[in-house]
Amino acid sequence: MEKIGAVMVVGAGIGGSQAALDLADSGYKVYLIESTTSIGGVMAQLDKTFPTNDCAMCIVSPKLVETGRHQNIDLSINCEIQDVIGEAGNFTIKVLKKSLYINPEKCTGCGVCGRECPVEAIDVFNEGLANYAATSVKYPQAVPLVFAIDKNYCIGCGICQGVCKAKAIEYDRKDEEVEINVGAIILAPGFDEYIPPEGNLYGYGKYKNVVTSIEFERILSASGPYAGRVLRPSDGDVPEKVAFLQCVGSRDYTGKGKPYCSSVCCMYTAKEAVIAHEHMHQIQPTIFSMDIRAYGKDFDKYIIRAQEEYEVRYIRSRISSITEVPETKDLRIKYETEDGTVVEEDYHMVVLAVGLNPPNDAQFLAEKFGVELNEYDFAMTDIFNPVQTSKPGIFACGAFSSPKDIPDTVTQASAAAGCVNQLLHEKKGTLITEKTLPPEIFVRGQPPRIGVFICYCGINIGGFLDVPEVTKYASNLPNVVLADNNLYTCSADTQTLIKDTIKEYHLNRVVVASCTPRTHEPLFQETIREAGLNRYLFQMANIRDQCSWVHMNEWDKATEKAKDLVRMAVNKARNIEAIERIKLPVTQKTLIVGGGISGMVAALNFATQGYETFLIEKQKELGGFARHIYNTLEGGNVQEFISDLIEKINSNKLIRVFTQAEIEIIDGYIGNFKTTVIHGSKKEKTEFEHGVVIVATGAKEYQPTEYLYGQNNKVILQSEFEKLLNTSNDINDKKSVVMIQCVGSRNDDHPYCSKMCCAEAIKNALLAKQKNPNVEVVVLFRDIRTYGFKEKYYREAREKGVIFINYEENEPPEIISEGSILKIKLKTLKMGEITIESDLLVLSAGIIAKREDNEELAKMLKVPLNDDNFFLEAHVKLRPVDFATEGVFVAGLAHCPKTIEDSISQANAAVARACTILSKDEIEVEGKIGEIDMARCTGCGMCIDNCAYNAIELIDDRRFGRVAYINSILCKGCGACAGNCRCAAIDIRGFTGEQIFAMITGRN
Amino acid sequence: MSFEPKILGFLCNWCSYAGADLAGVSRIQYPTNMRVIRVMCSGRVDPKFIFHALELGIDGVFVMGCHPGDCHYLEGNYEAITKFDMTQQFLKFINFDKRVRLDWVSASEGTRFGEVVTEFINHIKELGPSPISGGNPDEDILDKLKAIKMAAGSNRMRALVGREKTLLGSENVYGEQIIEQRFNILIDKAIKDEFERHRVLLALEKDSNSVKDLAVELNIDPSIVLEHVLTLKTRGQVDFQKIKGNTPIFMRL
Amino acid sequence: MNEITSESKQMKNTDDEWEPKILAFLCNWCSYAGADLAGVSRIQYPPNIRVVRVPCSGRINPYFIVKALLDGWDGVLVSGCHPGDCHYLTGNLVARRRFGILKDLLEFFGIEPDRVNFMWASAAEGERFAVLIRKTTKLVKKMGPNKKFEKKW
Repeated sequence: MEKIGAVMVVGAGIGGSQAALDLADSGYKVYLIESTTSIGGVMAQLDKTFPTNDCAMCIVSPKLVETGRHQNIDLSINCEIQDVIGEAGNFTIKVLKKSLYINPEKCTGCGVCGRECPVEAIDVFNEGLANYAATSVKYPQAVPLVFAIDKNYCIGCGICQGVCKAKAIEYDRKDEEVEINVGAIILAPGFDEYIPPEGNLYGYGKYKNVVTSIEFERILSASGPYAGRVLRPSDGDVPEKVAFLQCVGSRDYTGKGKPYCSSVCCMYTAKEAVIAHEHMHQIQPTIFSMDIRAYGKDFDKYIIRAQEEYEVRYIRSRISSITEVPETKDLRIKYETEDGTVVEEDYHMVVLAVGLNPPNDAQFLAEKFGVELNEYDFAMTDIFNPVQTSKPGIFACGAFSSPKDIPDTVTQASAAAGCVNQLLHEKKGTLITEKTLPPEIFVRGQPPRIGVFICYCGINIGGFLDVPEVTKYASNLPNVVLADNNLYTCSADTQTLIKDTIKEYHLNRVVVASCTPRTHEPLFQETIREAGLNRYLFQMANIRDQCSWVHMNEWDKATEKAKDLVRMAVNKARNIEAIERIKLPVTQKTLIVGGGISGMVAALNFATQGYETFLIEKQKELGGFARHIYNTLEGGNVQEFISDLIEKINSNKLIRVFTQAEIEIIDGYIGNFKTTVIHGSKKEKTEFEHGVVIVATGAKEYQPTEYLYGQNNKVILQSEFEKLLNTSNDINDKKSVVMIQCVGSRNDDHPYCSKMCCAEAIKNALLAKQKNPNVEVVVLFRDIRTYGFKEKYYREAREKGVIFINYEENEPPEIISEGSILKIKLKTLKMGEITIESDLLVLSAGIIAKREDNEELAKMLKVPLNDDNFFLEAHVKLRPVDFATEGVFVAGLAHCPKTIEDSISQANAAVARACTILSKDEIEVEGKIGEIDMARCTGCGMCIDNCAYNAIELIDDRRFGRVAYINSILCKGCGACAGNCRCAAIDIRGFTGEQIFAMITGRN
Repeated sequence: MSFEPKILGFLCNWCSYAGADLAGVSRIQYPTNMRVIRVMCSGRVDPKFIFHALELGIDGVFVMGCHPGDCHYLEGNYEAITKFDMTQQFLKFINFDKRVRLDWVSASEGTRFGEVVTEFINHIKELGPSPISGGNPDEDILDKLKAIKMAAGSNRMRALVGREKTLLGSENVYGEQIIEQRFNILIDKAIKDEFERHRVLLALEKDSNSVKDLAVELNIDPSIVLEHVLTLKTRGQVDFQKIKGNTPIFMRL
Repeated sequence: MNEITSESKQMKNTDDEWEPKILAFLCNWCSYAGADLAGVSRIQYPPNIRVVRVPCSGRINPYFIVKALLDGWDGVLVSGCHPGDCHYLTGNLVARRRFGILKDLLEFFGIEPDRVNFMWASAAEGERFAVLIRKTTKLVKKMGPNKKFEKKW
């Protein structure tokens, strides 16, 4: 069967959107299918995100807008999968597009229909905490901003049709069945949260002040039902004492919940507690948990801050039931402290940290797509490639394959895109469309001829201010050739009108006064471009969202404000010029620094796609950190996997491997790097060009100085123990093995979790028990962090008799060497001081960054490191494998401690991100960027410090001497440099000083 | 002196008013308590008229129209039924539902007119004077009645009641029939919600207040008051004023 | 909706109370979006601000603010993303440093400190945006017109 250069992405949460964007940017046609009526998924519901406390909506909505507007993404909402046939490379999917009863082409998202709807429905987005109309949009910033009628609630009264001035409501709109032909499928349906069933012992559903974490998320949200004030539902008071209960519906073997760990609850709970306290300082959060599983990058620091700065109290106890105090509606919690005393406390509100369940339609999807599910009904994935489902050509990303947080989801989404790239590369660019546009009219130097179009927006503007008056005012402004008003300036017929008007009146600047440029500027820019004007010869005045809607009772003042806003826009328009976007060629070759698993996986992916790849490794041989690992906890054979990779790398003609290699110099920027490498025992020098760089330099194992390591040969590292278990039978004559966790992790020197040590310890404990059932294995731990499905093995280990004993950071075990015996002394809360005799002490040493190497490379690539000397990505949540410096990506342990599977995902993700650059012959740069007037520049270099993107450098100019130079490829146009420049030498195109002064000044 | 109720009658021009005239021509005697307002059709009687009359201390309101099927404007009297049902439901909150009545009198039923009027007057006499008539009106009931008047006039109630007959009688915009039971649940909920919401609004108009105190004042569960306050907030009628201790105070906008 | 329309038309403002004009610089990604959200949520606030959209609060040259005061604006407001939320990573931090100094300088020149205000509002904080505008308007109103400079409005 012939392969198809199109991809279907099922589910448009953050994962689906990311996968769709990566693929669409790499030259594939993407069909993005969403079952609800808007995209964004759960992330759009969140208030803030951990560990940075970033505002979720602020960071996700630009991405969603981009998804909604992308030329190569065909977004369909309210869809249902009907049927899937075909195989990898060529699938045909039947999709039912359920009617919204509102014409999305005509709907302007003004919301009048919702306001007039007499039927109140339950607001699902706000988790039932508020009422809603049957005609609604999911949330105010929804993409696409199209209302939909919920037929479950609608009674068909017809009121909305009457009030809709855009005539968008079409009750006879029918469901539509379409057949879509694609080469690959990515499943990203997300998860559904666990909802405690009726009769649960937490009293959820019965007691008003017991809410789930996702409900609490809406309570925290500034756009939520309580407008960001933390109130309790029973009486609207601010709850001072809030209890958070962890593991509700997770790590539950009673059959009521799920046995696995939901991975994200520990962190989101810490975040909710922090944000609650931040919103209202009187709130004192208490978190009840078994283990604190803060295993991700910078997570532990967040927990420490929560405790120290935000007065969050942690109690190590699992609560199984709650009672209500009927008079006050407070909630009574009884718990046992670690020393065994039973305490009873009353709380004003309780938040249940509910776990992540597989999506409710997981079975349905599995059946339709023919993919297998695992024992918990999540998608079953390949043991080494967490995005590969059981069926070739179908990939899964995000929480559909296991509970995970946003960065892991985004990484997997890109990884899935990376795998699709590998599968369909020869069909890249075959199905995307490109518009043919008329040549641009040259307007530079001509006197401005401005056309102003003012929108009534039905009654949304016209009902609250005097549109004809504003139009008259605009028509009298200097250089305004024509001012007109329209019922809907954004409607298709008005676009034609604007184009005709531009031609008829020879307009060379266009101003539209209507809604917000954030959503509508691209539409109008497209229109004027179609009429032959440069798309930057456009300006918008926001007289709806920021005028008529917020001054609904002040007709005169709103009119006056609208006039001012229009005049300011006209003033700016008079000063705008056409901006040309520069295009630069791309060298379609890649450089990968580091030959561990991440580097090798990335190299192979690139090479499969036909990109010449340079893989450099510092050591003599490839393999990296994983060479010390025999198996994964889940049973994957790592050694076999590595040798297989090495063989494939060595036999691939497109991959050039340099071992014992060091980078002498990296020069250039995105698309155009030039690197010199010194390699081999003879220190040969090789120079080559490439378009992107992937940093996969890995990390190293901590070499302990504590616990007698290196002094007593009975004290060994976990990796040494693994070797002992896998290559000898020495375990058979051992009576007792003690393991100490967190050696060189989670302390002052290394204040982070090394993520894999718990799994490694349990893996080796199980293997030891398997080889010698009589051996006693004791694990001394601080928190057991077997997140996700790894929880199963923790339980198995306990069942097999592995003993787990908790110790505190400030009271570590003490090791006494007495002749041939090792004694381990430990203070415990429950048993007092204990002493264990052992003939082998295994230290779970953490993972630490290769500081010197990383610092050197970071300097060369102009990328940052974090406090722990791991590489710091561009954005912790949404750009986990990118750097702020474009064209440079990160994968594997160089980024932070992680598992082999995660490293593989990151490697594929980095490839997908890189392909968005490599797939093009030339890259077009942003138009609204900075430029330097060299005659004014004194070369002080202050702008260099202000630039977060390393876009500015000092150069020696022939005429002006030492001056700053902005690399237009790297510049994002934020203007931090321009705002600080002491000699006004820097300006930002599209936001020039001249333009802004023209807006400030009252004169025309 | 025995209680002489004040009664207001809304009579449709074509049947009931003519019936009343016929009663006169026929010299049929009935008590003097009713004052008549002529309307073109019983469907014209806006529930607001009735609430307004009751607010002023009228003891009873009688709406009369043509017999079902006989309406001069074809179906106006059916509209009257839906509106009257809602009116009566609202009035149940203050135990006033028996003070209003809808009945049919045709142009030829002079005798019947006398009978039904007499019967209604006697019925009101038995109920006694309206608690909000006279110089010392019951403030609580008066407040509730004000809330009822506003609630009944709200867009939501008008939209529902205005479409009730069409939706139940024929088909809705999708060409489907709406089940009466489902519709009644909706109406009942809307009546209760809007009544309570407008009580909250009126209470806040007097003075800004907290959810807890409003709940005590209005005798509504605080969690429901909170829901109402939040709905009113999204409608732009109410907003947070300040937080006193741990208790937010809401104000009327 | 028609009811509101007619009401608002009737409520033509007749009082001649002095109304300040405040120039607001809003960053595109957070505050401008927050202002849009206030609009979509129909949260009402005083109509005294005029918005200039800039890519980032870091773009705002102190001279823009000075020029606005020179041109007779009664108040200037600058709003960016919350610290740490900047779309351009650190632009708002650069701005924060800059404005701290500017504010001291303006005060030194004898300009009332409340005439120039800096704030943060995220894309999700429509309500907060409205509250801050109410506050700012009140502050500027209390100070009275900006009489130190030639009025060009």
